[in-house]
Amino acid sequence: MKTRDQEYRELFMAEALEYYDSMSRHLSELENNPNAGPALNELFRLMHNLKANARAMGFTDLGEVAHHLETLFGLIRDKERTFSGVLIRVVFAGVDALGNMIRAVGANQPMPEVSGLLDNLDRLVRGEAPLLEEIEAPETEEESNRKMELSDLVYIQVKKLDNLLNLVGELVIDRDRIMTLAQEIDNPALLATAQHLFRISDDLQYSVMDARLVGVGVLLNKFPRVVRDVASAEDKQVELTMSGQDVQIDRNILQIITDALLHLVRNAVSHGLETTEQRLQAGKPAVGQLTLSALTERDDVLIQVRDDGRGINTEAVRRKAIERGLTTAKAAAALPEQAIWSFLFEPGFSMADKVTDISGRGVGLDVVKLALDSLGGQLRVESQLGKGTTFTLVLPTSIAVKGALLVEVDERPYAVPLLHTDTVLALHPGQISVVGGVLVTHFHEEAVPLVPLRQLLYEEGDEPLPFATKTDMNGPQHVLVVNYNNRRLGLLVDRFMRQQNIVIKPLSKPLDTIDLFGGVTLLGSGQVCLVLDVPALTRLFLNKRP
Amino acid sequence: MAEIELASPTPKAERIKPAELVQLIVFRLGDEDYGIRIEQVKEVTVTPEVARMPKTPPFIKGIANLRGDIIAIIDLEERFRLRPAGRPLPERSYTVAVEAADYTLGLMVRDVPRPFTLPLSQIEPAPEFVQDSSTRDKYLEGIAKLPEGGIIIVLDMRKVLTPSEVMRLPGKGASS
Repeated sequence: MKTRDQEYRELFMAEALEYYDSMSRHLSELENNPNAGPALNELFRLMHNLKANARAMGFTDLGEVAHHLETLFGLIRDKERTFSGVLIRVVFAGVDALGNMIRAVGANQPMPEVSGLLDNLDRLVRGEAPLLEEIEAPETEEESNRKMELSDLVYIQVKKLDNLLNLVGELVIDRDRIMTLAQEIDNPALLATAQHLFRISDDLQYSVMDARLVGVGVLLNKFPRVVRDVASAEDKQVELTMSGQDVQIDRNILQIITDALLHLVRNAVSHGLETTEQRLQAGKPAVGQLTLSALTERDDVLIQVRDDGRGINTEAVRRKAIERGLTTAKAAAALPEQAIWSFLFEPGFSMADKVTDISGRGVGLDVVKLALDSLGGQLRVESQLGKGTTFTLVLPTSIAVKGALLVEVDERPYAVPLLHTDTVLALHPGQISVVGGVLVTHFHEEAVPLVPLRQLLYEEGDEPLPFATKTDMNGPQHVLVVNYNNRRLGLLVDRFMRQQNIVIKPLSKPLDTIDLFGGVTLLGSGQVCLVLDVPALTRLFLNKRP
Repeated sequence: MAEIELASPTPKAERIKPAELVQLIVFRLGDEDYGIRIEQVKEVTVTPEVARMPKTPPFIKGIANLRGDIIAIIDLEERFRLRPAGRPLPERSYTVAVEAADYTLGLMVRDVPRPFTLPLSQIEPAPEFVQDSSTRDKYLEGIAKLPEGGIIIVLDMRKVLTPSEVMRLPGKGASS
């Protein structure tokens, strides 16, 4: 089995070799046309990336050469040097040296000596003439044993992988259909084949999901810079510790939570951690600790952002929530800490007293909540006043199968992810009352508003829903109680169908602007079924309640 | 009389350039024929089961499963207000899956669409006044006059189907 280290080395190699090939190509272009701006920019960029990658992997010499070349190309770009004469020879020698060094990494051999080259590059940067004899000798020798190689890795567009996953999703649905049929027909040969198909498609699904996994590190490694920038803008001392970069997760999930994580980290430095002075006064070490860690917990991936800062001031949040009219003073007094903290994820809820450049612009933690909702993930908060705060993102490893409850309205099926369902009830009209134009029932001592799902989905326009009445209610009413951010809402539906695992496909353009739906799924019958987005439904109800 | 020919080599009649041909998929909307360049058509199929989609304008019939892709199905007769009164869509209709800018969309049509080839030169740009005045986009590529009479209105799918064009709807208003 390959170790992580080996895997990273291979990734580095593949990328570096690709950079090297592009460099050679752009250099030739530049030689023919010394003023080719795009080639020059590209070379500058390639050098920069190679430098960054090499340094991250600990190949200092390689990084140094790339760094020197980057500087030189920067000068050429700024028209302080021209791509001509001896400079061309030194640059070519430099790129060749990069190639040799990359190959040395691949073969696990010691790095070639480059001090002469670095010296020459330095001279060029300073505007002095390079010492040419030194570079000429190794170069001619190189010419004979130069090799060509193809990388062991294939770069693939995420789109192609998405398509594969899509097809596998189809296959799995058809497979289940065939399984059912085989059991109905009860032919031993057919059953055996169906079972074989079952195993193979299972393996295939697993392989495709596996191919989409990347290390959380690809995202985490972008954070040292972010933390540094925010800390210096806020004039704070922060030490960032990271762990779990190896934890594997679906690439698209990582993509979706990028902004959320960025927000949490900025927030932690900007609001969570105190200034050096405040820390010293509170008897804490001057340097604030920020930890970014990833770990796996059963089938989930947990990403944690932990600071040892001031913690959440629950009372301040409580006051703010009342001020903003999110709850009444009486209700707020009874709410537990966790429930109070969940107000932090309401749109536009900001605790910032002063607006800084980094955060506190009214863009609140709701961004984080939304990103997680879209993935069917969860957000956990732990905080202790004066000790610090931990935000934990609970993410699925891959975008795969989810449990859902299927309900029927007007003979169309709709799926509601189990994550957001609380319970199902059958209520007699007598158990339902009308309060302020809204249907309400009591469940576990709590008043839960009810709304016909049909009305929420099909009532056009932005005007409030009509005042509810009970006049057209006959017989027991089917109610699905959904729960979002500690808010319960009962949806009146025609019928409960069944519980089932579904593969959610995102809605494609142009319908993806309708956020009431988290996507669609195909039922065993091939029927298209819309997946309801409970957070969006809840918000819609709050906006439209009479 | 070969000599004469040799003696006076008349300039050959200017070689007729093979006219640039366009292949269209032609279907009927209202009482006219409409065409889409074949490159913009992904496939033609019997309309699959369409699930109605809430919060969309009426001309969006809903969504359907086309080989695992979930696509929106649009009724252009309704969109362009071409439906003659008292002529509802038949039970069995056809769907032309077209490639818009970066997604696929299904156009519902009443009869089997047919391919049709004609020289590009036969397509004349559409007169300004025909364009839908409410949209900036000129989604009529032109009008093809057929030798045997009749016309085909050529649509430029990439312009009919910009997301904002297709939606023109409350859109986000649903929950914001």
